[in-house]
Amino acid sequence: MNATRLLWFLAVGLPGAAASQTAPKIAARGDAGMVWVHADGGVGVTEMKGPVLAGEGRVVFPGLAAGMGLLSGTLQAPGGGNAQHDLIEGRLFIAARALPWLELSFGPAVRAYLTDSTTERWVVWQGRAHVDAPILPQRLTSYVEAWRAFSSQVNLAAGAGRVQGGEAGVVYRPPRRTFWFRLAYHVDDAAMGTSGVSETLQSISVGVGVGSW
Amino acid sequence: MTRAAGFLVLALCISGARIIQAQSAGELLGQGVHAYQALEYDEAAALLGQSLGLASPAPLADSLRTRALTYLAATHLFRGERDSAVAAFRQVIFLNPRYRPDELIFPPQVTNLFQEVRRTTRTIAVVVPPVTQLRSRVDRFKAMVLTSSLANVAVTLAHADGSALKELYRGPVADSLLVTWDGLTPSGAPPDGRYVLRVAPLTTEPDAPRARQVMLDVRQDVPDTLPWPAPLTTPPLLPEQTSGGPALRSLATGLLAGAAVVALPAVIAPAKDMKGGGADARYVVGAAVSVSGLVAFFAQRPRPLEANVRANASQRDAWKRKVDQVKAENANRLQKTRLEVRAGPVTVAERGAP
Repeated sequence: MNATRLLWFLAVGLPGAAASQTAPKIAARGDAGMVWVHADGGVGVTEMKGPVLAGEGRVVFPGLAAGMGLLSGTLQAPGGGNAQHDLIEGRLFIAARALPWLELSFGPAVRAYLTDSTTERWVVWQGRAHVDAPILPQRLTSYVEAWRAFSSQVNLAAGAGRVQGGEAGVVYRPPRRTFWFRLAYHVDDAAMGTSGVSETLQSISVGVGVGSW
Repeated sequence: MTRAAGFLVLALCISGARIIQAQSAGELLGQGVHAYQALEYDEAAALLGQSLGLASPAPLADSLRTRALTYLAATHLFRGERDSAVAAFRQVIFLNPRYRPDELIFPPQVTNLFQEVRRTTRTIAVVVPPVTQLRSRVDRFKAMVLTSSLANVAVTLAHADGSALKELYRGPVADSLLVTWDGLTPSGAPPDGRYVLRVAPLTTEPDAPRARQVMLDVRQDVPDTLPWPAPLTTPPLLPEQTSGGPALRSLATGLLAGAAVVALPAVIAPAKDMKGGGADARYVVGAAVSVSGLVAFFAQRPRPLEANVRANASQRDAWKRKVDQVKAENANRLQKTRLEVRAGPVTVAERGAP
């Protein structure tokens, strides 16, 4: 089912990119930030936070892009307990710029919380909509992004429920420079089954990017 | 047949009589002059009297009438009818105050009597061309004022109702005076209508000459004027300051995006009551985005575009010059309004008329 969706997206998107007969461009971004995880297990609430590093790269064709993103960090309980979780997240996507200010993307994402003994792993297929809203043309652009999982899996007994998230921030492009800066706030919420148990992840990040996104 | 022939003969008789009558005024004058020269004064007086007494359709022209009256006066004089001679000469003077009998034709007793009558007969005459076309200010309407003796007169242009419009001349006229009118009244070119050119003596003595007047039909031919140049608008005028729209759009975008950041958790995880570091972090980002909008707003505030201001100033100057040119040209054209003045017959004004 998920493979079928990916094949369909590739079938639609890649011929268009190939037909554009324009050399693809590479763009990349690196982020540093802080993550807060709020896990409501039904019988208790778990809070964790920690710094993360992230990166995203993409190959950009006119109107189309394909890329991947990685995030990694170590989370700890706010009280300074011994419990420590490694957070690793990876994402693949294909994106199409439907309008100059709207980008739609689709792809799988995997997120894992690792301890010494257990691994909580989420696999979701998500669709994203990214809206750019220029504040100062060519210089300062705000954006809002929302996504929702078309399908989700988690290796917990409760099973995966609705998974959705959003991100908003601002991008600054200095004049006559190839790099740019980004400040973003991110939140996603992953429900487990229908029990009302969920995990919410929030982050704030500062990033530096190069290339035309 | 007989009846038709009768009508034909009658018609021929009537038309023939009219032709004879029409031609006889001039012929009678000629015959009268011939009789005078033959010293047949009775016959001359009769013929000349008949030539003067015949009415239209072919009365004598003024010049021939003057001639006939002069011969008639001489005839009366030689017949011993001095009073009749004086009366005839007076008519001559009324007709044409400048007329003088030819001293090669008439003997001194005739010319002397004429001068005597002329000295005692005070009259004014005015001669105007039947049609005059003139450009206001440039050309002149001309009227010749004639007097039999020195007289103080006022030449006035008046409305048809007699109210004065413009005085063209006031002063003495010894023999003749050419009075001109530039086609303008104190309020500019006169509107179409009927006017009166009046020549009146300034004295109110009983034996003062009677005022003369001529009806003038004045028609204006107003020239076309140039249209005003189109008013300056944008374009071709360039904007003189940057628009305030982008600044407001930037402010609105920044504030909305900032609000979106703050509202994001409530949209994504509405059931959660999120507090603490992660939730507070959104305020940092939201504030940063909003401040970006404020910065962009102030960076894009409307400011003068000096180059455009200079370019517009030269355009405005050129436009103003064009307006001034059109204004001057139109004023020039309106000053040269063409008038057509048609003069009626000279009439004697009623005593006491304005």
